Amino acid sequence: MRAQRLAWATLAALAPVAGALAAHATPSRPQPTESYIPEPLPPHFRVVATELDGPVFADARGRTLYTWPFKIMRVGNTGDPKGQSNCTSTKTTANTGYMSPYPGGLTLPDLEDRPSCTQAWPPALAAPGARPTGKWTLVTRTDGSRQWAYDGFALYTCALDQQPGDVLCGRRYDHRDGDTAAERHPIGPDADVPPGFRVATTNLGRVLQTERGFSVYAYDGDEVGPSQAWMPMAAPATVRPHGDWSVIERSPGNRQWVFRGQPLYRHPLDDSPGSQQGSDERGWHNVYVRRAPALPADFTTQATTIGLVLADVRGMTIYTFSCGDDAPDQLGCDHPSETQAYRLAMCGGGDAERCLRSFPYVLAEPGARSGSRAWSAIDIDPMTGRRASAGQPGVLHVWAFRERPVYTYAGDHEPGDVYADGHGEFRAEREGYTAWWLRDDYFGRDQ
Amino acid sequence: MSARRAVTMAVAGTMAILAAIASAAPAGPVPAGKLSIAYVLTNLSWANYQTADGKAECPQGFNEGNREQFKALHPNGGTLRTTQLQYEIDSWYPTLADDGFAFHEAQGTTALGLNLDGKVGPHDFTSPEGEPGVDNQLYRALGCIKNYRAPDGAIRFFDDEMIGRDDYNRLLFEVTGADSLTESPQVLVTVYRGLDPLLYDATGKKVVPGGSERIDTRWGARYIRTLHGSIHDGVLVTEPVDLAYPWAPFYLPTDEFMRAARLRLKLTPTTAEGLIAGYSDVETWYQQMMRSWSTHHQNYGQTAAPSLYRALRRLADGYPDPATGSNTAISSALQAQFTQVVIVPDSRPDPAALAAQRPMAPYRGPPYPRTPSIEKAAAEPSASSRPAGNQPAGNQ
Repeated sequence: MRAQRLAWATLAALAPVAGALAAHATPSRPQPTESYIPEPLPPHFRVVATELDGPVFADARGRTLYTWPFKIMRVGNTGDPKGQSNCTSTKTTANTGYMSPYPGGLTLPDLEDRPSCTQAWPPALAAPGARPTGKWTLVTRTDGSRQWAYDGFALYTCALDQQPGDVLCGRRYDHRDGDTAAERHPIGPDADVPPGFRVATTNLGRVLQTERGFSVYAYDGDEVGPSQAWMPMAAPATVRPHGDWSVIERSPGNRQWVFRGQPLYRHPLDDSPGSQQGSDERGWHNVYVRRAPALPADFTTQATTIGLVLADVRGMTIYTFSCGDDAPDQLGCDHPSETQAYRLAMCGGGDAERCLRSFPYVLAEPGARSGSRAWSAIDIDPMTGRRASAGQPGVLHVWAFRERPVYTYAGDHEPGDVYADGHGEFRAEREGYTAWWLRDDYFGRDQ
Repeated sequence: MSARRAVTMAVAGTMAILAAIASAAPAGPVPAGKLSIAYVLTNLSWANYQTADGKAECPQGFNEGNREQFKALHPNGGTLRTTQLQYEIDSWYPTLADDGFAFHEAQGTTALGLNLDGKVGPHDFTSPEGEPGVDNQLYRALGCIKNYRAPDGAIRFFDDEMIGRDDYNRLLFEVTGADSLTESPQVLVTVYRGLDPLLYDATGKKVVPGGSERIDTRWGARYIRTLHGSIHDGVLVTEPVDLAYPWAPFYLPTDEFMRAARLRLKLTPTTAEGLIAGYSDVETWYQQMMRSWSTHHQNYGQTAAPSLYRALRRLADGYPDPATGSNTAISSALQAQFTQVVIVPDSRPDPAALAAQRPMAPYRGPPYPRTPSIEKAAAEPSASSRPAGNQPAGNQ
């Protein structure tokens, strides 16, 4: 049996599209609603479902709410401590030198277009007479106005979000840290899962895990044989069915959690959080409370030395460019509406022509549609990296994820190469290119 | 299934695996011995010979790093675009043009390593044991950078630390067909990547023999490589073969590529220790360093990436590019320690899958500026313009 499983795993490695991803690549089906634990909200605030980040809190206009948690940087710290907002209307003109080894005081690029912190991140101001509700409290800004806070952290919307469900300015990662900028995060209600479980945001969707981050699996067959060393997720005797969750009694007194009708298991070979090794076994799969939107048809998946990466039609790795600047307000620098100075430096030494050769955009067919809001085909001015205006000549119609174009790398010479993964300052955590990981068995870069 | 049939099938399967491995291996005799043993990598570092105070090999002192260069270049600050971003550009896309900064190469005639080309040339070293003709020009580049010096060079420390910590780096080799661990005229050595953590003793610091490893036949299939070798006086020596091996110090899938790599390891029933030497592909080496170590981390131990790149290219001594004539690889040596493990029998690769794998290739560098036409245009400094102690070693 063991040899058969390994043989299957080997064959799966040779397949261009692994089983776990086949569903991801198929056209979207109606997704089950992701359950959450309701809580009291201030008047007019609400919960909005999103494609990638689960249910999020939103203001009266449906705009996603974000926090900017305090973060200790390499040199100094920034963000908001609880009960205080450090995001002001003063436009920043110089960096701070948070990111060793470079000093502070260097003039930031494209100052003429640089917004102030509050222009990029409008505070969620409270109406006169607003009163705290549950975890929702109020902080007083330096100008005397009052701003909503959640769990003590001041709340903002993002100027890039235009409609309910947009989450264009941060991801709801659970464990993202390291040498990134002090990022803003969307906030939302807790997932309605039993104690011992959690829901994590991955590039494949919102996935069910144990509270320590280990994968949870379900089996498509009729019955799990006794020879298979799967570990049932034990349920206490006191639990009762609730929403998507129920319990089966495998033998007297031996209860097992069931999610949406499927008994849940752990796999003994998952020796680190996020590992998906159990999904290599035929009939077994990870459990998603909501899958990410289907990929556009122009994309494929490709095996690498750590797992699976998103690729173009030729099998060449797809990269995203992410960037947060080193100013006190840590503004973004990766959206087409933001400064392109960092991207142009990393892709072509400041030369747009070189960038087009080094990190070419992934072109979309005219009229291409993705079927989701996460993926879109947009018009880009190739020489500036900005969105092209209507009727502008020489534009490129390119694929974008969360409104940021995606790229391939000319230094990758064959499918599976990921030579630009980490290409940028601080291993691309500050500004640079990251491969679009679908599965990473080693470093958790798919979460 | 009868026991006899099961044994017959197992033998047939093993023969098929050996046939597939042999087909991927350099031509050579098939060893007849019955002994096999496997080892897992526990420690790895670039082989840098050093004296206690460094004055013998670095008489001009140690190199300055990126922080010092940045301060010299921009004493009065400026715009982020022309200072910080420009230094990142210079690091990610270095050229061969002289930057005016001195680079101190390791001096002297003693170095660790092996005689890779079978010659004794004017720029070769002699090993501490007295073996002449040692080729290790990478030591000239790294020997006077604090990051790479023992015991507290930051990159040296973390490079080694992550070998044990991250399963991505789980390099194994298995010796088969040996008569004994002391004398075997012909052995087969197969390199794999393992899947399992190292087995440590109760201190959590010392790897103990007898652990088990499954072979990574899926994501790690392309690392599988077979070498012919022999054991004499307890020392395993293998024939040269191009070898890609995983080495990810900081959570990114980075590899090294060594041309004409060969092992020289002292074997015992519980350990294997010695050198892995060959010509490291320069572009692969440099991108591994840049992706793994940010400017901040390089600054820990005074690495200035643009200067180091120029040194690597200047000292490269093998595998000239047919288009430019520039050497693309640099002689190098690794100090490696392995501990005995047991390979889980049914984790062995499927022969058909093994035969279907493409061999790993070196990184060819970014599309600019190191294309031949641009590189020719870049003015390489003449030998006379170099600071003292910065002379090219030539191609040995």
